[in-house]
This record gives sequence, C-alpha cells and structure tokens, in this order.
Amino acid sequence: MSCEKQSPPELPGCQEANGPLDFQLRILSDPRLLAVVRCTVAEFAAVSGFKEDQCRSITLAVDEALSNIIRHAYNNRRDQEIEMRLHADIGCLEFTFVDRGEPLDRSKYCAQPLDAVALGGRGTHLIRQIMDEVVYERVSEGNRLRLKKYLPPARLTP
Amino acid sequence: MTHLLDDKRDATPMKISTRELNGTTIVDVTGEIDMSTSPGFRTALLESLKKTPRLAVNLTNVRYVDSSGIASLVEVLKAARISDKRLVLFGLNEPVQEVLQLTRLTKIFEIRKTEKEALEV
Repeated sequence: MSCEKQSPPELPGCQEANGPLDFQLRILSDPRLLAVVRCTVAEFAAVSGFKEDQCRSITLAVDEALSNIIRHAYNNRRDQEIEMRLHADIGCLEFTFVDRGEPLDRSKYCAQPLDAVALGGRGTHLIRQIMDEVVYERVSEGNRLRLKKYLPPARLTP
Repeated sequence: MTHLLDDKRDATPMKISTRELNGTTIVDVTGEIDMSTSPGFRTALLESLKKTPRLAVNLTNVRYVDSSGIASLVEVLKAARISDKRLVLFGLNEPVQEVLQLTRLTKIFEIRKTEKEALEV
C-alpha cells in the first residue's frame, strides 16, 4: 500500500464510492498501539485524497493527540479506553477522540514558545500547526478533541 | 518514499547500535521513535554521550519521529553543550526533516547529510 494515492478508489457499480467515509476505533491507552494507529491514519488520509507529505503530517498530528491523551488525561496508564472516529467527507478529514481521563490543563496548553530549547510541550504546537481546526471540549463522558484538515482547493476538482 | 506498511520491518519498532570511528561514537538508529520508544532512544544517546567527546546520530533508517523523539534529541544536545562535547545528526530523511522544521529546531542542531560529512572536524 502506498500513501501516494491521489483520489478515492473507483469501485465499479458502487454509487457511494465517492461518498463520505467513516471509520471507528476503540483502543487501549497503550503506547505500543500508536504505530498501529499511524498506519491506519496514513492510509485513511491517502484514500481521502491527501498527498504523501500531507498524509505524514496528519498522521503526526493524530499521533501527538493520542500521546497527549495517554500522557496527560490518563497519566500514562495503559489500560484505559480511547474512542477514535475518522470521518472523511468532500474536501475534509475529521478525527474525533473521546477519553474518560483528567481534563485538559489549559495553563500548560501551548504554554511555551515552539522554538525554545525546552524538553517538552511541542505536541500541541504541532497539532495546531498541522490541522485547520482544533476543538477541545469537556463533555459528560470525559474529554473530546476534534481535529479537522481541509483538502487544498486544487485537489477538490473531480 | 517508503510507506510505513511497505518495508520489511521486524517486530521491534526501534533498534539502536553504536560503533566507533576516528574518535567519534556513531549511534545507528532504525525504526520509529515515538512515545513508546523514545525513552530507550534518550537513554542510549545519553549513555553514549558520557563515553565520547563526539557523538554522531545516524537517522538514515528512522521512518518516523514524534515530539517525544525531538525532545530526547534536545535533551542530548543540552547535555553535550554542558559537557563541552559535540553532537551531530546525519542522514535525515524527509519525515524527520519535516518534524524538525515544524518544531523550528533545524538551526539549533548541527546537521550533516552524510556520515563522512558528520565525521569531519
């Protein structure tokens, strides 16, 4: 499989081949699963029409989001649940993460300049740089994070 | 560009080995550096740095690095500066370069294309 796919695959006889795509995962907060999720996200972004370098950056943003959930919401516990939804529609890719961990500490969110020679805190900066929309909400079941990435206009032409 | 699923990798997500050449310790890294592997990456580099005046990190076979991997490199750079030692990175492929650019850290590291260039004093 390659991340160089330029458009969704054409499936003969399937009228919904170019319609929305939806994919859901429920994973444990075990960092060893991050590599598995990265492969899935890279392929999903490719099938959704993103170029190879965009697939890489989207994958990085998703990986950083999951790492933050494991590290901060679940305090590195490996046995907690993370729900993840991948949704692709015309020109847009959306990822939703729900966890039942600690709420986001807003005082630490993007708290230091990106170019400072600090040891940590770059994950949230990376997510914001890569994705077009980043929305965090505290909801009844815990934390919900939504990341959106729009396909560049030139790639929307059928 | 090799895709994550295309290459024939073994079950170990990251492998590290070291060798000596002309007074420089070269650390060869293979695989993916993320939250699960960066603690081992960090420890290996800091331990190697203790035993050498010059440390060169070969990233040619690193397919992926996240912010925790970058933080490990920054920590080793800080340790090198404190002890007046040299840290050089070489063989950065596209994914690694992209992350360094996104984190705006390309200028703080000494980066060389090849091992030969990394070994030049």
